[in-house]
Amino acid sequence: MSSLALALLLAAPTPPDAMALLRRAEKAVLGESAAYTLRMTVQRPGKADRVVEMKGWKKGDDKGLVRYTSPPKERGTAYLRNAASTWLWLPDAEKVVRVGAKQNFGGGDFSNGDIFRLTLSRDYVPALAGEETVEGQACWKLDLRARDRSVAYDRVLLWVRRDGTDFPVRTEYYTISGRKLKWLTLSDVGKLGARIRPRLLAMENALEAGQRTELRFLAIDDDARLDDRMFSPSALESGQ
Amino acid sequence: VRARALALLVALAPAPAAAREIELGFENFYYRTEETLLNRANLLQLEPQEDLLRGTLRWREDLPHGLRAVFRGYVQRRLGPQGETDWQARQAYVQWTSGDLVTLRAGRQRIAWGSGLAWNPTNRIEAPKNPLNPSLEQQGSLAVRLDVVPFPWAGVTLTAAKREFGGGDAPFAPRAPRGRTGAVRARFLVRDTDLALVLSGGSDQPSLVGLDLGRTVGQVALHAEAAAYRGAEMAPPREDQLFWRVVAGLLWTRGEHLTLTAEYFFNGEGYDDAQNRAWLAALRSPANLEYLAAAAVPFSGGLGMGRHYVQGAWTSRLGNGRWTTSVRGVLGLSDGSVALTPGVQFAPSGNVVVDLDVIALLGPETSEFRLAPLRTAVQTRMRVGF
Repeated sequence: MSSLALALLLAAPTPPDAMALLRRAEKAVLGESAAYTLRMTVQRPGKADRVVEMKGWKKGDDKGLVRYTSPPKERGTAYLRNAASTWLWLPDAEKVVRVGAKQNFGGGDFSNGDIFRLTLSRDYVPALAGEETVEGQACWKLDLRARDRSVAYDRVLLWVRRDGTDFPVRTEYYTISGRKLKWLTLSDVGKLGARIRPRLLAMENALEAGQRTELRFLAIDDDARLDDRMFSPSALESGQ
Repeated sequence: VRARALALLVALAPAPAAAREIELGFENFYYRTEETLLNRANLLQLEPQEDLLRGTLRWREDLPHGLRAVFRGYVQRRLGPQGETDWQARQAYVQWTSGDLVTLRAGRQRIAWGSGLAWNPTNRIEAPKNPLNPSLEQQGSLAVRLDVVPFPWAGVTLTAAKREFGGGDAPFAPRAPRGRTGAVRARFLVRDTDLALVLSGGSDQPSLVGLDLGRTVGQVALHAEAAAYRGAEMAPPREDQLFWRVVAGLLWTRGEHLTLTAEYFFNGEGYDDAQNRAWLAALRSPANLEYLAAAAVPFSGGLGMGRHYVQGAWTSRLGNGRWTTSVRGVLGLSDGSVALTPGVQFAPSGNVVVDLDVIALLGPETSEFRLAPLRTAVQTRMRVGF
């Protein structure tokens, strides 16, 4: 009996290190440095969808730039993130304006922080919280607690596939009082650019039923060589 | 200049385009006018109701080798007995960008620096925007501008410009400052704080030193912009006096729907009570037309006649971004001037945007805004993008 228990114990997958798993999961969609094209669809009950296309660039954990390319009404608008600062470029006014990280990105359900801080490992302390099946996938469950109050959410729950891909499947965002604000599902796994990855991110609002925003990646270049200067407000202001 | 801009357009039109953006528009600026002290005996020859009708064109072409050409302009018909047709190039420039380091731009262009939302005291390059409706498109200045970004945390802008402010949205041409201006602006990002230093000077204007700060605290974006210069820009001459202009404000966004802004403007050159009384007395003098230069205030004039102003704006998005409503207000604390600008924007599709803004000027009869010869304004704009 004891040998059977030992055999079962050895056969069970070894629980991964929570931080290592989180780091692998957060690179699932975009790598360390990337240039991408994205379509954002904002869905609101009883109202027409709002569809915006954009080009984006990401470098490291804290530099990101997104420029709207369509529709004409929003074309040229740009968001820039560098460390803790976020700026908005208003093409009509030709002006750079500072905005908050928790502000909604482009009027959808993602915040600026969600878009530009896809890496959670810097801001949160992860702990392994068990195994669960989510969206039909066997997953590791990670419980992330904020290191300080400056981040967008106080607690994040993250489910990561156990099949060796380490793709995140679902993320839930909570306030300090434990209220769920919204949740993110990552789906449509397939090849895009040089590798296989989730291509569709859908954020749903837990407080307003039916409010949902989709980000569909249309193209990703993981090998983009990006200069740090393109992530500066000075470059944004120069109208490049 | 306009002939050269047109020639540039024609020359570039057949070029192979990497990306092209075209937008056609319609604008109507309706004003109810009055004979005030600033328009004694209808000196400005205004009709009781003035109507400016415009057809607008925005055209941008991204060309190979880092080149970009931009044109923004309009054809305007002033309706009524004085009906006349004119056209203006708001912007007509060519830009060349080398990597992420250097951008060179030459031609008529906007140079909209400064963190202030309604007032930008550090900006001497272009005409001050109308604080009653900062969303109106600004007229550019004829300039050469070089932007260099040597480090991710620093950038420098060098500008040489010819000041010839015109093309405003009023049915008369205000007397505006002219001359040549040179300016340098160095911008830094230090510990998540924006810091910019400005030096500018030139002919027919005092030299100016400016400072610009911006920082985000929680969900509030704070900004402050200050300028110091010696010698008054408004009458009467005060050549040896040092003046300060300071703007401080904030921008706060709540969720996807609501944006609030607030700004305070200290105009050190503005008139105190005694100076204001002297100014009003001068306006009443039949022989003294000197102060009529200020007639355009606040539509396309200077930064203001008073000393203390507060501006606030509330903007709300509805219907998944189709509707945007806003109310802007400017209060002149020195004389009780009040301006209210309710507005609505409707975007039935991603290609079409319609804006309707109304400006109502309130306050005591002799306050700055009530002295403006233009009272109620209705500004309608429609743009169709391709």
